[in-house]
Amino acid sequence: MAHPLLLGFQDAMSPIMEELLHFHDHTLMIVFLISTMVLYIITLMMTTKLTYTNTMNAQEVEMIWTILPAIVLITIALPSLRVLYLMDEINNPHLTIKAMGHQWYWTYEYTDYENLEFDSYMTPTKTLPNGHFRLLEVDHRMVMPMESPIRMLVSAEDVLHSWAVPSLGVKTDAVPGRLNQATFIVTRPGVFYGQCSEICGANHSFMPIVIESVPLWHFENWSSLMFS
Amino acid sequence: MAGEGEPDSEKTFKLLGILDVQNIPCSRESILYGSLGSLVVGLGHFLATSRVRRSFDFGMGGFVLTTLGCWIYCRYNHAKLRIQQRIIQEGMRNKILYESSDFDPERKQNSNLGSKS
Repeated sequence: MAHPLLLGFQDAMSPIMEELLHFHDHTLMIVFLISTMVLYIITLMMTTKLTYTNTMNAQEVEMIWTILPAIVLITIALPSLRVLYLMDEINNPHLTIKAMGHQWYWTYEYTDYENLEFDSYMTPTKTLPNGHFRLLEVDHRMVMPMESPIRMLVSAEDVLHSWAVPSLGVKTDAVPGRLNQATFIVTRPGVFYGQCSEICGANHSFMPIVIESVPLWHFENWSSLMFS
Repeated sequence: MAGEGEPDSEKTFKLLGILDVQNIPCSRESILYGSLGSLVVGLGHFLATSRVRRSFDFGMGGFVLTTLGCWIYCRYNHAKLRIQQRIIQEGMRNKILYESSDFDPERKQNSNLGSKS
């Protein structure tokens, strides 16, 4: 999860997020090389004694600074398109969960087998137990089985919201009157945090998302308990 | 719990403040090979031509090309390895599930050996 002074991404908990991390590393290396080259050229320009003020055309250098950026863009675009299409693959989800955004809480619906529905409100700081995360904990976590493809259907009841969990690489807008779909697989058990990512009013910062990923039999026990 | 997940600052080293060579796979090797390539190309050019500024330019070009080449090669192999790891992990997970069924690869292997003998 996020920690103080975190500049990069959180650890990946789904295969798609792993791919995104790797793509980010690739792009960062290219950015590093371009930055190094630019710094070098600036140093060259500041240390040269040569000046020429009558330049009329510069065909060769213009060819270079057109073709080279085109090659750089292709080097970035090809892996980017690969990850983009990977994210859109059809993977036959085992479970469908609906997340409905309200002002200012989330409602989760598990309607595949029984009609299980519950609200997820942020735990106020005053009632937060010691050691728990401020502005991130909720009263009812969204529990899901690990290593199972999950389909999330995200919508909203009032205004725009956005259901986002950075460690899973998921961010889906919750639009009233529209169903948006996201699919992912959680590879490890654990608790993953996210926050509403579309401005939705006064308490936009206070409607977090907490996912608890557990083995399947744990999930079955939990859903039986919740339903009863 | 407050100490969980805090960055070990002594374990990150960011070149130009952005590239974490300690934690990004293949980055350290690429930068090191790039530096070596830069040295070889730059020094070689200087020894051949005795032109200092142009040798630095060649060195810079050698750094960029060698780093990029090593990076792409290493990342490609790393990606292949990760895919193989995923296939193995899934196979291990499904071994018990598929045992003695039509999907069991060991059963197919044994039946092939049986038919050959």
